[in-house]
Amino acid sequence: MYQLIQGALERRIMATATVGDPPKRKFKINKKYLPYLLSLPALLTCIGILIPFFTAVAYSLQRYRLSQPWARKYNWGENYLNFMTDPSFWNTLKVSMTYAFVTVGVELLLGLGIALLLQKRTRFNNFVSIMLLMPLMTAPALASLMWKLMTNPGFGVLSYFAELIGIQDMRWASDPSTAMLTVVIVDVWVYTPFIMILLLAGLRSLPRQPFEAAELDGVPRLFVFWKITLPMLTPFLLTATLFRVIESIQQFDIIYAMTQGGPGDTLTVFQVEAYLNFFQSTNVGRSAALLMILWAITYFLSNIFIKNWLRLREKAHGDA
Amino acid sequence: MQTTSTLESVLRGIAITAIILFFMFPILWIFLMSFQTNETILRVPPSLFFEPTLTNYRSLISGKLEGSTATLEIRFMSNLYNSLFLSVTSVTVGLILGVPAAYAFARLKFRGSEDIAFTLLSFRFAPPLLVLLPLTIYFQQIGLADTYGGLIWVYQLIVLPLILWIVRGYFEDIPADIEYAYRIAGHGFWATFRKIALPLAGPGIAAAGLLAFIFAWNNFIFALVLASADKQPVTVGALAFITASGINYGQIAAGIMLSIAPTFALALYAQRYLVEGLSLGAVKG
Amino acid sequence: MSLELTNLSKSFKHDTVLDGVSLQVPEGKTLVLFGPSGAGKTVLLRLIAGVIEPDNGQIKISGIDVDGAEPEDRNIGMAFQNFALFPHMDAHANIAAPLTAQRKDQSAIQSGVQALAKLLKIDHVLGHKPKELSNGQKQRTALARALAGKPKILLLDDPLRNVDAKLRFEMRLELPRLLSDQNATVIYVTQDYKEAMAFGDEIAVINDGIVQQIGTPEDIYLTPANVEIARLFGDPVINFLDVTLQKDATGVFVLISDKRIDLDANYSHAIGNECTLGIRPESVLFVNQDHENAVPVTVEAETPLNEKTVNLCLTARGREIMASRPAGTDGPENGPAFVNIEAANAVIFDKQTGVRIESEQSTGEGNVT
Repeated sequence: MYQLIQGALERRIMATATVGDPPKRKFKINKKYLPYLLSLPALLTCIGILIPFFTAVAYSLQRYRLSQPWARKYNWGENYLNFMTDPSFWNTLKVSMTYAFVTVGVELLLGLGIALLLQKRTRFNNFVSIMLLMPLMTAPALASLMWKLMTNPGFGVLSYFAELIGIQDMRWASDPSTAMLTVVIVDVWVYTPFIMILLLAGLRSLPRQPFEAAELDGVPRLFVFWKITLPMLTPFLLTATLFRVIESIQQFDIIYAMTQGGPGDTLTVFQVEAYLNFFQSTNVGRSAALLMILWAITYFLSNIFIKNWLRLREKAHGDA
Repeated sequence: MQTTSTLESVLRGIAITAIILFFMFPILWIFLMSFQTNETILRVPPSLFFEPTLTNYRSLISGKLEGSTATLEIRFMSNLYNSLFLSVTSVTVGLILGVPAAYAFARLKFRGSEDIAFTLLSFRFAPPLLVLLPLTIYFQQIGLADTYGGLIWVYQLIVLPLILWIVRGYFEDIPADIEYAYRIAGHGFWATFRKIALPLAGPGIAAAGLLAFIFAWNNFIFALVLASADKQPVTVGALAFITASGINYGQIAAGIMLSIAPTFALALYAQRYLVEGLSLGAVKG
Repeated sequence: MSLELTNLSKSFKHDTVLDGVSLQVPEGKTLVLFGPSGAGKTVLLRLIAGVIEPDNGQIKISGIDVDGAEPEDRNIGMAFQNFALFPHMDAHANIAAPLTAQRKDQSAIQSGVQALAKLLKIDHVLGHKPKELSNGQKQRTALARALAGKPKILLLDDPLRNVDAKLRFEMRLELPRLLSDQNATVIYVTQDYKEAMAFGDEIAVINDGIVQQIGTPEDIYLTPANVEIARLFGDPVINFLDVTLQKDATGVFVLISDKRIDLDANYSHAIGNECTLGIRPESVLFVNQDHENAVPVTVEAETPLNEKTVNLCLTARGREIMASRPAGTDGPENGPAFVNIEAANAVIFDKQTGVRIESEQSTGEGNVT
């Protein structure tokens, strides 16, 4: 390494000496190592993530309860095998997937609708879209809190509205039959603006010509929507969907803030269940195994997402 | 020009009104609640017109509340401080570490650059608990358990991938010839970075920093798992409100308002940067 | 500062852009790099400047190998084709960049920038940002920036390309004087042959990553290495006629429209080959019928071309041939006429390869690949 720097310095001094400049006594790091030095923090973060990650992998292969440290041992794939016959696991899976698909489905439709309504660049539309950004700026845990206050069976304004339309004694998040509905509403409230922004940007970036041509030819608007707009929006729709599904299936803040997973196990999605396993039942092994399964799902999905997103970026930069 | 029928305009109007109502109502309602006394709040049916009071805010800020455990209140202002401190420092650290790294990724093609970038990106989507739960055990061992430093380091998990992701794109957008011209004129690599690349990528860095701040501020799970009692930000602190005994709903509402005000203000002030960052750089706002 | 390039090669992914390029430029001289787009000229400039590294080969400045030397240490000035001005700095700061790098003090920078700006007639827009400048002003700012540091080597990448015709013509008069005042070694890249002939002490024709010919403008014009180069240099385009070299007791000749045209005896080694005869329009002159070598043609059309007048003619066998003469001189009417083909100015190319066939006595100037 020293020789490399020495050699580089020598050549540098030679070059500077001949080209008529006074040789500068700067210390110069050999160019080859510069990139690694610069991306050191990124590298360190990678390592910083990988160490706990592999620890978690190890935990998932152990029978490990914090309350029974003496019984800690490797039971290899047993935790995973037990999941197969564990109704609680299947419940977790079911709840997580229900949550993910319902929230993302609603958000996509709603977000698309709003984006279509606001796509013309008018002052009013811009104003409205900025306004609609605000729920996205709210911390999801706090959003949950807000809705919790509004759905309080005693004084909550929404409980009052429910009574007005004939639903008596609505218990919202405390009621197993309406708990999912409640958290879904909160999720939709927070995250629809994200889809809206993405699709709005996508809509406004579409080339004008196909639409102008269709208008000139008198093509009915519904047809334009189905056959022109939607197909051209597909990359954006895909990006948005993948992104949100990955996030939704790991949702923690909203559900934990609302009910900590209750009532009972109606809302025990993956991360909430893992949290409860770790801190309440101190079952580290099970907690880790759950998280590994969740990780596998999100890893698979995020790979598709990243490749798709990179392709989308290339296209955008290519046209720019 | 497409002709829109009046029926369509009316439907559009109704739709937009309903949408605005749905998304704005909760914020408005809690806002109103923060100016109500507990009495007013508990009244059924809920009242739109009432006598506003500032006691909720006053007690939060001053840290005193009559008729309940005083410790709870003091904690809120310190929660607010924690949020501010953690977010600002994490983002600052993230920018200092991340911007040069983003430049390296953009300009210097070196072996493993794509792999590191891909790994970081994919971990952006990994379940946080996967990393956080083992860390609770490690933190005890390496003495980071009750420190701001440990938290700031963990917050880099949120902040760094975002900054790298967004800023790299902006650096790549600068035509290489411009940087070459500066080098050929006689300036070195660092001078080029400082005088050419940084200024030209300025908007992107601002967008990244802004977004990172918002994500850091709104974060809940990291703080829940790893922050010790006196270092909790508002997201965790506000929850403690509701689970405590003798809660005053008006204060909770006021607390929520104070907690969301900074991110709202930032979002309004820097909308353009926000939109660019949120659309993930896929489309330039 | 002389410049010497030896066997430079560079590839990107699987694309070979430069393949064994060797050039020499003596101190203070100007070499023109001529070639179509994609030929590799810009990559070559970047290699010399040091912003990219060659896969193979050597670059020597004043005899010293500069491998490993950073661009900022090579004392080079470069003007880019698309200007590459710093968008966030005004024209003054752009031009001052080499001077700030040399740590000159404020007054030196001021005077340096002002002097150059006045010379290039942009002193009234020094406070403007690049987006507020016209193309011509941007080009001159880029040029000023390249000159400001008084570099010993100047790399000019087609600086007149994005500039309107009138300004281009003006600069074609001013630039050579500017460059000679600087006393720098210059490499000038262009796709315009008139620029190449005006600026270069020597011209290097580059195509497909290799040097096809190096020579003075006269060399390239009078003895082009291949058919393509012959076609690229000259307005109107050189005439090409397919001929077969023949020999008899009196010497080597070809037949054009059954009229005998005598060629230099030293082409005897190419007898019987299928050849292409290249003759420039200015060497095709109208003569009377009784001229010794008069070739019958039919004049089809006449058109003015700058300082010349050009006639399009057809030979007896229907081949096209163009004749040019200075504007204002007399010429034939449309219809039958006779021309004299000045064989001394003819160039013979092999029909298959397009490569020029040298007469055995020629001194072999210029590379033939």
